[in-house]
Amino acid sequence: MRSFLRVIKFAIQGFFRNFWLSIVTVTMMLMALFSTTMLLSIDYLKTATIEGVNKKVDILVSLKPKLEQAKVEWLVAELKADPDVQKVTIITPEENRALYEQSNLSDKAKKVLEVFGENENPFSYSLAIQAHDLSQYQNILTFVSNDKYKDLVDSSDFNDYDAFVNKIDGFAKVINKYSWYVILAFLLISIIVIFNTIRISIYSRQSEVTVMKLVGASNSFIRWPFLLEGVLYALVSILLLLALVYPLLNLLQPSLTNYFQDASVINIQQYFQANFWLIFGGQFLALAIINMISTSIAVRRYLKV
Amino acid sequence: MIKVNNLSKTYTPHIHALRDLDFHIKPGEFVSVVGQSGSGKSTLIRMIIAEERATKGEVIVGGWDITNIKNKEIPTLRRQLGVIFQDFKLLPKKTVFENIAFAMEACGFANDEIDKTVKQMIALVGLKGKENRYPHQLSGGEQQRVAIARSLVHKPKLLVADEPTGNLDSINTREIIDLLKKINDLGTTIVLVTHNRDVVNSLKSRVLTLENGALISDQAQGRYLL
Repeated sequence: MRSFLRVIKFAIQGFFRNFWLSIVTVTMMLMALFSTTMLLSIDYLKTATIEGVNKKVDILVSLKPKLEQAKVEWLVAELKADPDVQKVTIITPEENRALYEQSNLSDKAKKVLEVFGENENPFSYSLAIQAHDLSQYQNILTFVSNDKYKDLVDSSDFNDYDAFVNKIDGFAKVINKYSWYVILAFLLISIIVIFNTIRISIYSRQSEVTVMKLVGASNSFIRWPFLLEGVLYALVSILLLLALVYPLLNLLQPSLTNYFQDASVINIQQYFQANFWLIFGGQFLALAIINMISTSIAVRRYLKV
Repeated sequence: MIKVNNLSKTYTPHIHALRDLDFHIKPGEFVSVVGQSGSGKSTLIRMIIAEERATKGEVIVGGWDITNIKNKEIPTLRRQLGVIFQDFKLLPKKTVFENIAFAMEACGFANDEIDKTVKQMIALVGLKGKENRYPHQLSGGEQQRVAIARSLVHKPKLLVADEPTGNLDSINTREIIDLLKKINDLGTTIVLVTHNRDVVNSLKSRVLTLENGALISDQAQGRYLL
């Protein structure tokens, strides 16, 4: 217990009395952590954007005019039985007319409705279909184009959507494939930077290790304060990271909400809040372990006196 | 206290740092080891404190054969010796008090005992009032006094001093040698490595003279021969 308390005392002394060395070491670690956190944020933004687009995309199927409601409901039931379909929303002819009237079309275009009068509605039923995943839209399009439904579906406006969906889906796949390589490369660079920072830090204090050894300190009595100092570096770096990241998120969130016109699509603050321990606890743990391993390797070299 | 039997140290097949050294040092003696640069003085000290291993022969310190000492036993050996160096080897980021206390902390002494002993040692080496200074705030002579206090703090029976006055002016040299004599009078065996002729001649104690790694003279009340 006595030795344990002394080890803690020496670790704290070492951290504060080698202040500038500690500042440099912590700065290097903070940069590595900040890069990793930014990479995580970018990964979240990518995933959330794709998911957001996925949620917003739907296939709008225009049905034949004057279709009976029973037939519409039968088609909806058929669609819901398809495993690719997540949600089907019926848009009635009245709702379609209201949407047309509220749209951004010119007054001239809107005046076309006057030909039909108040009691006649030229619009038919429509169905808004959402898939579970972008890649499933093609299957749904094929499903709807089936001859079985040719008397119900007016399918002339499907093609543009098809190209858009395929483009988004392909983009998501490419990003998902390569983002992990980028993250791994970045993590590797961060580990190398931290490892060498610790080595330089210990190198500059090698005479200290030698002196301790010459006055009869055991290897563990010398090593443990340095190991704990590594944990202290990790702790200070994480605290500084928190102090840096949270104000940045506060600045960033309004712009993201504004851009997507919907706070539920990308809520980076909520993402960090929900994954706080995983992101910051995980980074602290990983950094502390890397620091301790690096310190152990670096100190061992100078213990051979 | 120290038995050196047929001791040789060869670094490569052709560099013989020590050649067949044979001598004994009795408890309470004050022995100077002299010789020119490269004569093997520092190698001999490094072997006594187990910083180097012998190529041939044996070194016995306080009844402990350290020729084949295991690495994990080295700290225990060093806690029974006091060692001081030409470059003081103080911990730069620790105060005078902490530097001296460190040797006791490493041995596992209780805080009360450390506090009491360190204060006594600081008084003994004449550094009272400078306990909270860092090494860079002290003169060379004062730094060497801290090193001496640190080497004595666990009451060793043997004090090994490797060129302790090499970086000091004549006044500080005199003070450090007087301090070593005082420590010797209290019963501690002292092995002093030096090439300072005046120091050796003034001591009028035993002198071992090394030349090219060999012991060429062992005088009971010797003088600097080279």
